[in-house]
Amino acid sequence: MNKSYLGIFKMEFKGELQYRNKAISGIFTQFFWGLLQIYLYVAFLNDTPVNGFSISQMATYIWLGQAFFAMRFITMPKRTGDNIVNGNVSYNFVRPLDLYNNWFCENLGQKIAATLLRFPLIIVIALFLPGNLKMYAPVNITALLLTILGIILGICLSVAISMFAVYLTFKTLSQKGSATIVATISGLLGGIVIPLPLMPQSLQNVINYLPFRFISDLPFRIYIGNIGITEGLIFLGIGIAWLIVLIIIGKLLIKSALKNTVIQGG
Amino acid sequence: MASIIDFTDICKTFKVPLRTKGKFSMFKNFFIRKYKTIEALKNITFKVNEGDIVGYIGPNGAGKSTTIKIMSGILTPTSGNCVINGYVPWKNRREFVKNIGVVFGQRSQLWWDVPIMDSFELLRDIYKIPKDEFDKTLKLLNDALNLETLLNRPLRQLSLGQKMKCELAGSLLHHPKILFLDEPTIGLDAITKLAVRDFIKFINKKWKTTIILTTHDMNDIEALTNKIILIGKGQILYQGSFEKIKENYASSKTITVEFAKDYDNIALDGYEITNHEKRFATLKNLPSKQFHPKEFINEISKNYEIIDFQVTSLSVDEILAKLYKQYEIIER
Ligand SMILES: Nc1ncnc2c1ncn2[C@@H]1O[C@H](COP(=O)(O)OP(=O)(O)OP(=O)(O)O)[C@@H](O)[C@H]1O
Ligand SMILES: [Mg+2]
Repeated sequence: MNKSYLGIFKMEFKGELQYRNKAISGIFTQFFWGLLQIYLYVAFLNDTPVNGFSISQMATYIWLGQAFFAMRFITMPKRTGDNIVNGNVSYNFVRPLDLYNNWFCENLGQKIAATLLRFPLIIVIALFLPGNLKMYAPVNITALLLTILGIILGICLSVAISMFAVYLTFKTLSQKGSATIVATISGLLGGIVIPLPLMPQSLQNVINYLPFRFISDLPFRIYIGNIGITEGLIFLGIGIAWLIVLIIIGKLLIKSALKNTVIQGG
Repeated sequence: MASIIDFTDICKTFKVPLRTKGKFSMFKNFFIRKYKTIEALKNITFKVNEGDIVGYIGPNGAGKSTTIKIMSGILTPTSGNCVINGYVPWKNRREFVKNIGVVFGQRSQLWWDVPIMDSFELLRDIYKIPKDEFDKTLKLLNDALNLETLLNRPLRQLSLGQKMKCELAGSLLHHPKILFLDEPTIGLDAITKLAVRDFIKFINKKWKTTIILTTHDMNDIEALTNKIILIGKGQILYQGSFEKIKENYASSKTITVEFAKDYDNIALDGYEITNHEKRFATLKNLPSKQFHPKEFINEISKNYEIIDFQVTSLSVDEILAKLYKQYEIIER
């Protein structure tokens, strides 16, 4: 990658690291939401496995979801959206950079920093919780390595999908509306609203091949051993293919949006 | 001399979607579009020579910022041609922008939470400026603008004036051939304004940078530019030297007269009474009337007893106000 894109990435990364208070309150929310989900799961389903998930697997899956919530939840950095709506984006235009790459790196820097700030604490606490609440270690070291690969892929996918919110913001000049649409669709299909393993099998058969499940559902299932190594590798391949497709579509959309875009403000 | 900016018949119309408010308005606005059009620029044609400082002036909403955005490759015009430094800005944007610097007085190109120096270093990477060249330029800008104490502070801590200095420096790090300044002196105090003006002159001299600036401060124009372009309601009304305009108005005088006693009514052939209060009155000569002090005293003394009078020429602001009025370009 070009040094300037790395620089843009670093700038957003450093910027996001400054929001420690936001991260701490996020951690609290995620932690209690995780507890609640596991309690509900235990209360309603007792010990009957659902779609092949045991209680311990489900608890681990839920904790991973909470720990990596920042990665799973599709956002567009506030600054990117603000800049488009208020016209500061003018300055992006006068740089010798590709604008898609520019915003992609901005989003990526922000996403990675937000994720790094949040996940370690939740994981550490969850590993030491008692009884049904406990999060378990990965099934084996290969699964862990694949999980890490999957999470890296997930972050990239998350950012590639958030670029659609950037596109919509250009089109509608409503950053909140655009972010909400993209977050809602990917939240439904990515398992944020209802964990994917709890969805009816028939629905899962479709969702499993859409890009959203590759963000987090795939690495988490590899971690708990619900998806084996070989199958996991195949799915990672599909995820990478989705990433490429999404980036290409995103680039084309942004290009078309820029062609007849009107920059706001005097 | 060769022209570096060549603007021919540029038109820009904005299609403004008529937005509905309320629930689901975003969806409605996305799918159902009704437009109204605004003609922001109409057949704008001008040339700028290399090394010139051009003042681009006109009242609010005249189209100044729109022109700057087209020149810097941010907006595509609806029609017309434009070649700047050998490029069509909106066609070869990424190549073109390597040789321009842009400052929008009301925005910021630097990053908000990080020290100014970090922003500068990122710009260095973005423009691929060699390290020794970067250091040299930074030292030059540093000396000229007194940035030393500002570089390790984040942008959000700086005052408007300090910010503007950093913005100017940021726009010049890559040694651009052309500099576009959209209201660079907006909101600055008198001393900072002078510093910014001196700096603009300095860079123009030192690097032969071609500079286009918009401003509402006529003193900027007087101090800096060797050519002005006057634009109103999207059309060019005048281009040439500011001196010429001043000459046109040089014969307009304002005369403040002190009388020996109160007069109920004052009138004088060839003059307009713009103010009258007790023993004092302000008069202006009509365009047809040439002002001569001796003749003025003779004529006014026929009917009134005067003690003192004072003659002033139009200020540059007044000249501009007159120009705007004359061309009827002020929107009401
Ligand atoms: N994004 C936009 N959408 C619609 N109309 C616009 C847009 N930008 C500018 N205009 C219109 O184009 C005209 C020219 O605007 P412009 O910003 O170029 O004026 P200006 O000369 O810079 O004024 P000012 O001195 O107030 O900065 C105005 O009528 C403005 O309303
Ligand atoms: Mg303007």
